[in-house]
Amino acid sequence: MHEVAIAMGMVDELIRIGRENNAKKITAVRLKIGRLSGIVTDSLKFAFDAVKLEHPVLLNAELTINEVPLIYECNDCKKSFDTDNFYFPACPECDSFNLKLVSGEEQDIENVEMEV
Amino acid sequence: MCDACGCDHSHEHEVQKKTIDVNQSLLRANEKAALVNKKHFDEQGIYVMNLISSPGSGKTTLLEKTIEAIKDEISIGVLEGDIETELDAERIRAKGVPAVQLTTGGACHLESPLVHKGFHELEHQLDGRKLDILFIENVGNLVCPSFFDLGEHIRVVLISIPEGHDKPLKYPKALRTSSVLMISKSDLVPYFNFDIEKAKKDALALNPSLKIFVTSATTGEGMDEWLKFLRSVLTNRTCC
Repeated sequence: MHEVAIAMGMVDELIRIGRENNAKKITAVRLKIGRLSGIVTDSLKFAFDAVKLEHPVLLNAELTINEVPLIYECNDCKKSFDTDNFYFPACPECDSFNLKLVSGEEQDIENVEMEV
Repeated sequence: MCDACGCDHSHEHEVQKKTIDVNQSLLRANEKAALVNKKHFDEQGIYVMNLISSPGSGKTTLLEKTIEAIKDEISIGVLEGDIETELDAERIRAKGVPAVQLTTGGACHLESPLVHKGFHELEHQLDGRKLDILFIENVGNLVCPSFFDLGEHIRVVLISIPEGHDKPLKYPKALRTSSVLMISKSDLVPYFNFDIEKAKKDALALNPSLKIFVTSATTGEGMDEWLKFLRSVLTNRTCC
């Protein structure tokens, strides 16, 4: 996936957020990236560190990525569990395949820290 | 003199820090544009299908055969996505259906703003005629198109027999973000080691709600079921 294209889109969003909040500098950005998002976090960090150099407000912005695990909740027995397996995942408690995905697909900007 | 405020002694300027909670998608710009597209399509009563696959899986041929079969009963329009050339749009127009080519010039996937532009161009071609269904044939790529909502009502992923039955497992996001899997070029089964049951099982393991068709545009196998499905989604749609 094009982490550079994603980083560029992210930078546009950050500039907008900074402007809306009268930021002098954006100092930190925290992302939530889920296991199933398909986004490669190392590539995204690398891309962000390159793309941010074009924008004075982002020069010192440090990117932290919160890698969200794959968590399912069983619709039958209500057990929540985390797993690396998204191929026929089954409830470890009751073996049901009737599951709800609770987390793992995120590809979000969680918060932005700035100097105002 | 302090450069920042012109006072005549240096001092620490008070810096206020704040943290803004955002909780919005990294791909927010495209998602917003997709919602605009969807609203537009719904207002006009057009059902939209996004076809994704590797290059050469048979998307354009599927459209040609579909058009041949139903163009007299269902009004069809097509947006063709490619990096270069108008070849696919020309093939569709040759079947008597309006088509606009979206040429990305380098991007390996379509995004909503380009679809929006293309759709307005198609509206000019239609000149007031109403569409029942819009097919958007995405750029041939089983990875990137999965990330970009175009405002479609349904996404169809094609995997052809020569590609191998391991493709569902290798491309989970394409399978998980689609509602329909079409295993195409089924006439080539005798020449390849493609285990159709394994491909179906793996696809359903990733996405239990997938509807699966096995088709050959060449022999016509499975095409009746596909056309029946198309007619039924149009008849039963609640969206538009």
